[in-house]
Amino acid sequence: MLTGRGKGRIRPPRRVSDKASALVDIDKPNTTLHDVTMSPRRRRWCGWGVGDMCASSMHSPRSVGLTNPTENVDFDTIWKELQMSFIEIHTKDVSKISFEEQYRNAYKLVLKKMGDRLYECVKTFEEAWLKDEVKTKIQSLLLGGNLISAATVGIRGMSMNEKRVAGEKYMKEMKAAWEDHRLCMGMITDVLMYLDRVYCTENKKPSIFTATMCQFRDHVLRSHVAPDGPEPTTIENILISVILEQIQMEREGDIIDKTLIRSCIYMFEGLYETEYEDENEKIYLTSFELEFLNASRQFYQSEGESLLRNSDAGTYLRHTESRLREEQDRCRSTISPLTATKIKEVVEEELIKQNIRDVIEMEGSGLNFMLDNDRLEDLRLAYNLVSRIDPKKAELQKALQKRVVQMGAEINKAAKTAVTAVAQPNEKENGKEVAAPAAKAAPPPNAAALQSIAAIRWVDDVLRLKDKYDNIWAKAFQQDHGLQTALNRSFQEFINEFQRSSEYISLFIDENLKRGLKDKTENEVDAVLEKAIVLLRYIQDKDMFERYYKKHLSRRLLMGKSVGGDVEKQMISRMKLELGNHFTQKLEGMFKDIALSGELTTAYKGHVRQLDDGSRERIELSMSVLTNTFWPVESWDSTAKATCIFPPDIERIKAGFENFYLGKHTGRRLTWQPNMGTADIRATFPKVQGKDAALARERRHEINVSTYAMVVLLLFNNLPAGASYTFEELQTKTNIPPNDLIRNLQSLAVAPKTRLLIKEPMSKDIKPTDRFYFNENFSSKFLKLKVGVVANGNKVESEKERKQTEKRNDEMRGGIIEAAVVRIMKERKELPHQQLYSEVISQLRFTPDINMIKKRIESLIEREYLERVEDKSRPAYRYLA
Amino acid sequence: MAVDANTSEYVTLVSNDGYQFVVKRSAACVSGALRRMLDPKSNFSEAIENKATLENLSGVVLEKVCEYFYFYEKHKECKDAPDMDLPPELCLELLMAADYLNSELLGVPLWLELELTHSASMTTSAAP
Repeated sequence: MLTGRGKGRIRPPRRVSDKASALVDIDKPNTTLHDVTMSPRRRRWCGWGVGDMCASSMHSPRSVGLTNPTENVDFDTIWKELQMSFIEIHTKDVSKISFEEQYRNAYKLVLKKMGDRLYECVKTFEEAWLKDEVKTKIQSLLLGGNLISAATVGIRGMSMNEKRVAGEKYMKEMKAAWEDHRLCMGMITDVLMYLDRVYCTENKKPSIFTATMCQFRDHVLRSHVAPDGPEPTTIENILISVILEQIQMEREGDIIDKTLIRSCIYMFEGLYETEYEDENEKIYLTSFELEFLNASRQFYQSEGESLLRNSDAGTYLRHTESRLREEQDRCRSTISPLTATKIKEVVEEELIKQNIRDVIEMEGSGLNFMLDNDRLEDLRLAYNLVSRIDPKKAELQKALQKRVVQMGAEINKAAKTAVTAVAQPNEKENGKEVAAPAAKAAPPPNAAALQSIAAIRWVDDVLRLKDKYDNIWAKAFQQDHGLQTALNRSFQEFINEFQRSSEYISLFIDENLKRGLKDKTENEVDAVLEKAIVLLRYIQDKDMFERYYKKHLSRRLLMGKSVGGDVEKQMISRMKLELGNHFTQKLEGMFKDIALSGELTTAYKGHVRQLDDGSRERIELSMSVLTNTFWPVESWDSTAKATCIFPPDIERIKAGFENFYLGKHTGRRLTWQPNMGTADIRATFPKVQGKDAALARERRHEINVSTYAMVVLLLFNNLPAGASYTFEELQTKTNIPPNDLIRNLQSLAVAPKTRLLIKEPMSKDIKPTDRFYFNENFSSKFLKLKVGVVANGNKVESEKERKQTEKRNDEMRGGIIEAAVVRIMKERKELPHQQLYSEVISQLRFTPDINMIKKRIESLIEREYLERVEDKSRPAYRYLA
Repeated sequence: MAVDANTSEYVTLVSNDGYQFVVKRSAACVSGALRRMLDPKSNFSEAIENKATLENLSGVVLEKVCEYFYFYEKHKECKDAPDMDLPPELCLELLMAADYLNSELLGVPLWLELELTHSASMTTSAAP
């Protein structure tokens, strides 16, 4: 405590931060003089000697005042004086009053323990004043106008303007009454400060100011205007409805006196339900705010409905946003900031939550319209509004997903119709060819091209859709994470819905790596590859994609059609990054094979040169030795296994290479794939007499043809001029599979620029009875020619081919599933059915068919890798070592 | 000019025995009662005249009170201010003056109260 200080010293003022504690200390001993009690403890602190005391004449604190203790204090006289001064304060005539005198009067009364009487007298005086003066004045105003009925019944026959004027007049009156009351009470409180400080604190009474504020509340604000009316209306009710009416006017576009309303709101904020002045019990909160929120709710409810009926979604959203802003402004300028969050909730509830679904689904202007037309502004607005009410944005997400899937389905459908349009005839022919191989020629050559175009278009469309939504997502949806997931899910959904997606994406990459990328910068290449990877990410059955990619890659590599190894490798490494090492292993193997083959070719050339005796014209051979498991050998042609009969020269080289290769690597088997090869041949065409100049001399051409075409052409070497082969003869002599033979003959005898053979009769189709002659009249401007084989490039599979591919894929999947099952069971020995399934699924790179797993497990049980565990409540399996 | 007078820098305090003290307005406003009394906005006669007659206080006491006002103003901001000398014989009256004037800081009443409590107790114990 503070007792250690020297006597008779005034402690210096403390710093501000100490003040609080100082105040607490002070409060306890009470600064009152008339009630000091002695405690033995206090006695012990005493440091003064008696002698010191003698100097001053001391009185007992109880009887001491700064007034003369003997002075007789007559309450009534003093109160009369005080009352007079109060009246003067109320009537704004204080210049004659001495503050000090009145202050001393109150001081005297309190000291003389007449505080309670004074307190009560002040209250009675104020009550009377409020009732007789203030309330009467307001009441007379009300009774004069028709505000009571206006406020309660709602006015008929009263124009907007009249209403406003009447309302403003009333509010002005209220404002004046309130401000006057506050001012006067402030002054009276000042005069009665001693009463407040001593009497009220000690007796735990509300201060004079608080008490009179309560009186204002009870005797003015909450007094009935027309007590005998059917509905008792208080001044407060009327004031609130006037304010609400004004706000309503503003909502409808009128201009109102905001400051005036704000002053009335101050009154509500300055008054409390109880004398304890609990912040939560402000009259503003307990009565005005409730009414305001209710009225607003009703207003926005009906506004929401009418907006839905009468305007489009964009307008609705913009209106909602401006309403939200408006209400926030209103809380700042007209009513209280306390209401800001609450009114925000009301608007959000009524305008957004209730109607957002309808707005999003609005025909012709809803979310779909905005998405389709890239209305970024509106979308941003929609996003902002929805995120106000729902952090998950479920409605938006749902509609968005629906639209993406819808758009995706359209792309799929477009691609499908494009494919079936060209695939239909193709299908038919394939069917016939199987039955009667030579019956019909292949479909028009551009069918395949059309299909490829459809495939590329599908990918382009999907990418464009993706770009579009990415753009919207980034610019309008603030890169919302949840929406991104939703978008991805939708893309995944429709891409996987489309059965050919794996094939098409691979084709797209093929197309770009083949020629599309030739004159693009590195960045563009990057962008295209990145796009492809993006789509790849969505593909669920990655093994299907791998299969197609291998097929397309093999053609690119073997036909030398790829733009460049760098880009290919880039692509592979991207896929590796995205899908893992395992995925690209075989693809990398393919590249390795090609590289090794190059070396092998050089080595073989050296080998041949050593053996060369110069006796024969040498035929050069370059080959690609491909590892069976890396390359999609089976997709090239199942019938290719039937060995082609090569001309003896070629047969010799073939045997030579086989010897060379098998001598280097023992234990390997070489299978020739003549359908994949090409040959460069030099052909000499004789002079043709009597024709134009171009034919009048001997012509040499270097012609690049497929291996099969080479075999066919070499047959004509041994044929006398003018003789011919029929299709059937050619077939038996070469043993080339009919399909391949037809294709090659088409390019040799039908394609106008490379017509090395003449067909009889001349038609597009090849029939078994057609005859073929060597075309001695062939001429071309170019020394070097390339005879393309019809449909040799990568193209979309026909329906039948695709079924086959799928079948092959399923077979492979079966193997993979079995391997996975065995792997898991070997480790676990025993596993319940469900757990086994889920572990298998987690190991696979595709979404397997549950039935397939089941079949595989059954087959494994049959082959005694597994057995069923019998005595278990749940089905389980055991691994049999 | 009335306005100038109302917001003048100095005010006059008068004791019951007629002593006048001219003090800075800011210093006088250390007392809550004086501040309200002299508040130019309130328009009481004291405020108009910038002069308050304190019927309760003698010149001796009022002088000490004024001294305290300045003392307070001077040391308002510092931490270790010296103690102010206070003649013991004035303690009681000063305490009551502080109570009456409602000095904002309450430092005066507190210190005086403690010491007065002592002297009062001495008195009471001496009485019987």
